Amino acid sequence: MSSIIEPATGSGAGPSASGGERPVGAATAAPRGALRRPVEMNRNIDVSGLVDAEGGLLDRSVFTDEQVYRQELRRVFAPSWLFLAHTDQFHKPGDFFTTYMGEDPVIVTMDRNRRIRAYLNSCRHRGARVCRADSGATRNFTCTYHGWSFDLEGKLVSVPNKGGYPESFDTKDWGLVEVPHVESYRGLIFGTWNPEPVALREYLGDMAWYMDAMLDHDDEGTVVVGGVHKWVLEGNWKLAAEQFATDWYHVNMSHTSALTVLAPSGKPKAEIVHRTGRQYTDPNGHGAGFPVHPRNRFDAQTVHKWMDYDALRERLGEARVEGPLTNGHATVFPNFSYLPVNGSIRIWHPKGPDRMEVWAWTIVDASMPPEVREAQRLYNLRTFGPSGIFEQDDGENWSECQAIAHGFITNSVPLNYQMGLGSEREDGRHPGTTSELYSDAAGRGFYRHWRELMNTPAWHEENR
Amino acid sequence: MSSGIRVASLDDIPEGEGIAIDKSVTGTADDIALLRDEDGSVWALDDTCTHEDASLADGWVEGGYVECPLHSSKFCLKSGEVQNLPATKNACPHRVEVRDGEVYLFPNEAP
Repeated sequence: MSSIIEPATGSGAGPSASGGERPVGAATAAPRGALRRPVEMNRNIDVSGLVDAEGGLLDRSVFTDEQVYRQELRRVFAPSWLFLAHTDQFHKPGDFFTTYMGEDPVIVTMDRNRRIRAYLNSCRHRGARVCRADSGATRNFTCTYHGWSFDLEGKLVSVPNKGGYPESFDTKDWGLVEVPHVESYRGLIFGTWNPEPVALREYLGDMAWYMDAMLDHDDEGTVVVGGVHKWVLEGNWKLAAEQFATDWYHVNMSHTSALTVLAPSGKPKAEIVHRTGRQYTDPNGHGAGFPVHPRNRFDAQTVHKWMDYDALRERLGEARVEGPLTNGHATVFPNFSYLPVNGSIRIWHPKGPDRMEVWAWTIVDASMPPEVREAQRLYNLRTFGPSGIFEQDDGENWSECQAIAHGFITNSVPLNYQMGLGSEREDGRHPGTTSELYSDAAGRGFYRHWRELMNTPAWHEENR
Repeated sequence: MSSGIRVASLDDIPEGEGIAIDKSVTGTADDIALLRDEDGSVWALDDTCTHEDASLADGWVEGGYVECPLHSSKFCLKSGEVQNLPATKNACPHRVEVRDGEVYLFPNEAP
């Protein structure tokens, strides 16, 4: 864990979820006077009949229905731990990065006590964003509309023409709405709006063992190289999230041209095409799949040469070095995914049922010398950057699935998630429950957890 | 002629930043912001922005100007002249001398 970041409840410094000096955690805690939102506006659907996780069937409306989507924002995104940023993006008080939690814009910043905090990026006055930049360093967040200004602790510190407000107006009531819980795991910062979440480490469960294969090569951890690539894809966010959780199956078909280009002879070796491995499925909806082979290696030659596989075996154990260390795919539920072999970490921001934004970082070991970092950066850029030869294939497939999904007949025909049905077991080598490399097990797990959250009233719902 | 008040060492003020000197030291009505431009030169203005309650010492100093950290009004480091809205009044400048790495302030003397 990074020392600069702590659970908001664990620190005495500043407002926290357990004893703040002003409302935190949710807009529901803000002064609302006579306002009462009619329940009809947030009518919930029972999605039990849309996901048959046990039979491996999925109703296609989960990708297209506007009501389902609005409910996802309330019941899947609002209560879940969501990826925010990497700790390497914050070195000095005032360093900030703006991102989204679901569709909610948030500012992640380091406060004067060097604690990483996150705030809703919306002025409490008329609601404009108080920070318009992607990232940078600042001392205050000032709304460009009327000039309400907030400090790094989220406090409202300046209101032009303050004398015009009634005596009852107290700036303490109108600070930025703070994300109540922000925690990090090995450099990855997550936040949740849930006022009483399970701890991040507990939420990750056995998934952390698989994540460590990417994040814990040595004591120095990881850093970010380059900026954050962002691009828009037509397609529901779950198409990408489930694929990274559960889908090695597509590799030989979707990526045939890329695999051919990368093969020196122009023909991919049989051992690349016919791979075996395992796929991990987590009760919280996470998933990870990876080929298993004693000679698994990093693809970029410079990276491969630099890696000390014996030291990694010593630190991480044989099962990880021969499995999730290199080739493979993974999703932390709901919308954070990564690829260990090229250091790609990304989030699938939902933008309505039909569109997502991909935000992608490249991370490398902090211990890597400059030429190795550069080799990994370029390898990731060429394979899974916005114009990467693999990334193009995936985006094309997701957009293809989405483009036709609104047809009435099309939409009513169930989709198949039955590969590996019943194959889930404890294999004695990898923690938790695993299936075959080619399997939909983690996909079924993803949608099982999604169904559970969708049918569970969240903390912010009245009469739950 | 006074030799000024020694208020700081040059190293106390990073280039592009400022520090506030308390009015109990300066004997002025307002605190005074010592502002160090990116070329290394040091200037002094009344610390409180003429628009709202903000410390210019917390502002951004570059290219001969300080920008208020709250609402982005800019003031000329040398003359205190306001450059843009929302502030409309000039800031009061004070003379500064740097001798042997020490900063001397001459409150209420024009630079």
